[in-house]
Amino acid sequence: MIGFIIRRLLASIPTLLAVLTLVFLLVRVVPGDPAIAILGDRATPETLAALRAELGLDRWIGAQYLEFLGHALRGDLGTSMVTHRAVWTEISEALPHTIVLTLAAMVIGCLIGIPAGVWAALHRNGAIDVLTRLLSLLGLSFPVFVSGIFLLIVFALQLHLFPVIGNPRPGDWIDGLHKLVLPAITLGIVMAAYVVRVTRSSMLQVLGEDYIRTARAKGVPRRSIIWRHGLSNALIPVVTVVGLYVGILIGNSVLTEIVFNRPGLGKVIVSALTQRDYTMLQGMMVIYCFLIVVVNLITDISYGLIDPRVKQ
Amino acid sequence: MTLRITLSAALAAAALLAIPASAAPKTDLRVGMAAQDVGQLDPHRAVSTIDRTVVAWIYNGLVRFKPGTMDPKQIEPDLAEKWESSSDKLDWTFHLRHGVKFHGDFGELTADDVVFSLKRASDAKTSAFSADFAAFKTIEATDPYTVHIVLARQVPSLLGLVTNYSGGYIVSRKAVEKYGADFTRNPVGTGPFAFVSDTPNQSLELAAFDGYFRGKPKLEHVSYRYIPSDSSRDLAFQNGEIDLIYGKQDQAWINRIRALPNSVVDVFEPGELANLNLNITAKPLDDLRVRQAIAYAVNRPELVKWQGADTARPGQSVIPAGYLGSSGDVGLVNTDIAKAKALLKDAGYPDGVTIKIIHTQLPQMLGSMQVVQAQLRKAGITLDIQVVDHATFHQQIRKDLSPIVYYAAARFPVADIYLTQFFHSASIVGKPTAVTNFSHCDVADKEIDAAKTETDTEKQVGLWVEAQKKIVAAVCAVPLGEALQIWAHRTDLDYGYELKASLSLGPLLTEATHFK
Repeated sequence: MIGFIIRRLLASIPTLLAVLTLVFLLVRVVPGDPAIAILGDRATPETLAALRAELGLDRWIGAQYLEFLGHALRGDLGTSMVTHRAVWTEISEALPHTIVLTLAAMVIGCLIGIPAGVWAALHRNGAIDVLTRLLSLLGLSFPVFVSGIFLLIVFALQLHLFPVIGNPRPGDWIDGLHKLVLPAITLGIVMAAYVVRVTRSSMLQVLGEDYIRTARAKGVPRRSIIWRHGLSNALIPVVTVVGLYVGILIGNSVLTEIVFNRPGLGKVIVSALTQRDYTMLQGMMVIYCFLIVVVNLITDISYGLIDPRVKQ
Repeated sequence: MTLRITLSAALAAAALLAIPASAAPKTDLRVGMAAQDVGQLDPHRAVSTIDRTVVAWIYNGLVRFKPGTMDPKQIEPDLAEKWESSSDKLDWTFHLRHGVKFHGDFGELTADDVVFSLKRASDAKTSAFSADFAAFKTIEATDPYTVHIVLARQVPSLLGLVTNYSGGYIVSRKAVEKYGADFTRNPVGTGPFAFVSDTPNQSLELAAFDGYFRGKPKLEHVSYRYIPSDSSRDLAFQNGEIDLIYGKQDQAWINRIRALPNSVVDVFEPGELANLNLNITAKPLDDLRVRQAIAYAVNRPELVKWQGADTARPGQSVIPAGYLGSSGDVGLVNTDIAKAKALLKDAGYPDGVTIKIIHTQLPQMLGSMQVVQAQLRKAGITLDIQVVDHATFHQQIRKDLSPIVYYAAARFPVADIYLTQFFHSASIVGKPTAVTNFSHCDVADKEIDAAKTETDTEKQVGLWVEAQKKIVAAVCAVPLGEALQIWAHRTDLDYGYELKASLSLGPLLTEATHFK
C-alpha cells in the first residue's frame, strides 16, 4: 500500500508543475489591471506605473514566472499584492474552515444519500423510489445560494436557532459546531442528491447479479444480502462519485461561505479575483489543485480498501 | 416536593439574573459592509467605498467638513485650530492644535507629521491622489505646530485638499517609517477610533481612542464586518446581528428596510452622477448629430423612476448638482425620439446605427445601462453591450476600447475637479496625464484653466458654468441620473449629528456617536 501511495504521489508532481505554469499564465491572461483595482479611478498613469513597478509587474513575464516557480517549489507562495499579507498565512487560516465544511457536508451527504439510495433500489418504481428520486432532483435543482437563504430565513430569522453570520469565535469549538450546522446541511443536501442517485443505480445493478440470486437461493438472510453482498459491491461507483464530488463541494463552498458569511477559501478566492490579486490567486489555485490531487489519491486508496482486487 | 421547590427557586434566581442590573446603552457597534475584504487602510491609497468609509473613522485632516455635511462653506478646524492665507491665496499657514495624540505609542502630532503626510499624498509613488496636489510648491514646518504651504498657482479650494477626504488625511510619520509597506495593515491616525485587528475576509475591529483630542468616544468598540451577500447582510440586520448596514441604491430595498421595526434608512449626499461619456473622436460618435441623437433619445425621468424616487434624481448637468459652480441651466435637451431619428437620418443613418460598447457586470450599473439601451433603441440606436467583470471594465475603458462609457462618480464638491478629470484634454485616457476623460473632450479647456486661477468667485463660477454649457453643446457626455448614498441603522443608534452628507460615502463615526 505504501508503494502504491508513493507511486501516486510521484505521479502527481508533473501534474502540479503543469498546474503551476497554467495558473501563472491564466491569471495574467484574464483582463484587468491589479494597479487600477488597487488605486482606483483617480490615479494618474505615473502612479499606476509606480505601483506596477512596486509589485514587480513591469518586469519581463519570463522573469516573473521563474521567480514564482522558484518560490512555489520552496513552498513560498508570496505576499498578497493588495493586502500585503503572506498568501500562505491567509490560506492556512481559511483552509481549515473549508475542509471542515466540506467534510461535514460529505458526511451528511453520505449518511442521507447511501441509505436512501439503497432504500429506493429495494422499492424500485414504488412510491418510495419515486419520492426519493423526486427529492434528489429537488436537491440537485436548488443552487446553494437559494437553499442557504431559505434555511437562514427559517432557522435563523423565524426560529432563532442559528445566527445569520456564521463566523465562528476563535477557539470556541461548540460555537464552531453550532455555526457549521446550516452551511453543512446546505452543501450536504446537494451531495446527498448525487449520492442517492448513484447508490440507487449501482444497487439495482448489483441486485440483478447472479451471485445475489445464488445467495437468495441458498437462503442467505435478506439483510445480509443487501448490506454485505449488495452494498459492499455497489460502493465502488459511490466512492468514485464522492471523491469526484469533493472537488465540486470545494467549489460550491465558495457560494456557501459567502451566503453564511463563513471564513474559508471561497471568500479568499472571490476577493482575490475581484481585486486581480495575482499572487493570492496563484496561491489559491495551487492549493485547490493540491487538494484535488490529495482527494483523488484518497479515493484510489479507498478502492483498495473496499475491493482488494483493485490493489493488484 | 423538595426537588420541585429547589427547581422553582433556581428558575426564579435565573430569571432575576437574566434581568439586566441597569439598562445601560450598548457601546459596541456592528457594521455590515458589502465587501469581501478591506483593501487599503493607508488613507492615501484608500479609494473604494469599503476602504474610505473606515479610514474616515481612523484619521483626521487639517480641517474637516462639519460632520454630516459636504458643504465647503462649512469646513471647520480639525487638526489645525486656525489658518490664514495671503491675499493672492498662494501662501497658507496652518496652526496645529497642541497635545493631539496618535494612536498607540506614536506620540504627539507635530508639523513634521503634517509635512510628511502632505508630501506623501502628493507623491505619485505613494498616493492615488497625487494629481490633486500638483499645484503644491513647498510644504514646510516653520515650528513644531506651524505648517507653511506655498502654491505654484492658485487652486479652486486649498482647504478642500487638506480636509478629511482623500489625500488630506494626516498619518504618523513614525508609524509609516516603522511599518513600511505594511502600514496599510497597521493604520495609525489621530481619529476617534484606533485599529485593533483585521481578520482577512471577515472583519476589522476598532476600539475607541481614549486620547482622542475631542474627548473619549462614547462607543467603545466598532466591528466592521465584510458581508458580501446582499441577502445575508439584510437578514443579519433584520435579525439584530448588525446595527448599521450598507444599503442598496434600489427603491425596493429602501421600502423593505423602512418597513422593518427599529430601522431607519439613511439617504444622503453625495449623489454619484452617471454620465454617458461619448468618444467624440470615434466613429460614428465623431459626428455631432449622432451624439445629439443620443442626447434626445435618453429619458432621464424614466431612468430615475426605474432607479427609485428616494435614491436617484435626474442629472441636471455634466457635473453633479450642488457642487460650487454647478448649474441647472446648461442647455440639456429633453427627450424627443422624432428629433433623434431625424438627426440620425441627417448624419447618414436613416436605418439606425449600432454601437458596440463595453460595460460592467455590476448589477446596478448594468441595469441602468440596459434601461438606456432600451431608450436608445426607440430612436434606432442599438447598443451592442459586451458585459465584462468590473476590473476588466476599468482596464478596457482606459484603453479606449469602448466608444461610450457609462461612468458614475462623486468628487470634492467644487466644479473644477469634476470638469478637469472628466472633460479637460489633459485628462484624456491614454495620455501620460490621463485621468477619466473618456470622451476626448477638449472644448472647454480654456474656461476650466481660467477658472483655476480666477480669484473673483463670481467670475470663477461663471467660467465653470460656461464650460458646462460648451461640454453639453458638444455632447461630450449625456448626464443620466445621480444616485445618493444608502445605508440603514437601528433606531437606537444616534450618529451624534444630522447625516445629510458624507464624502467618505459612509456615515462618519465621531466621539458623539452612541446608542440611546
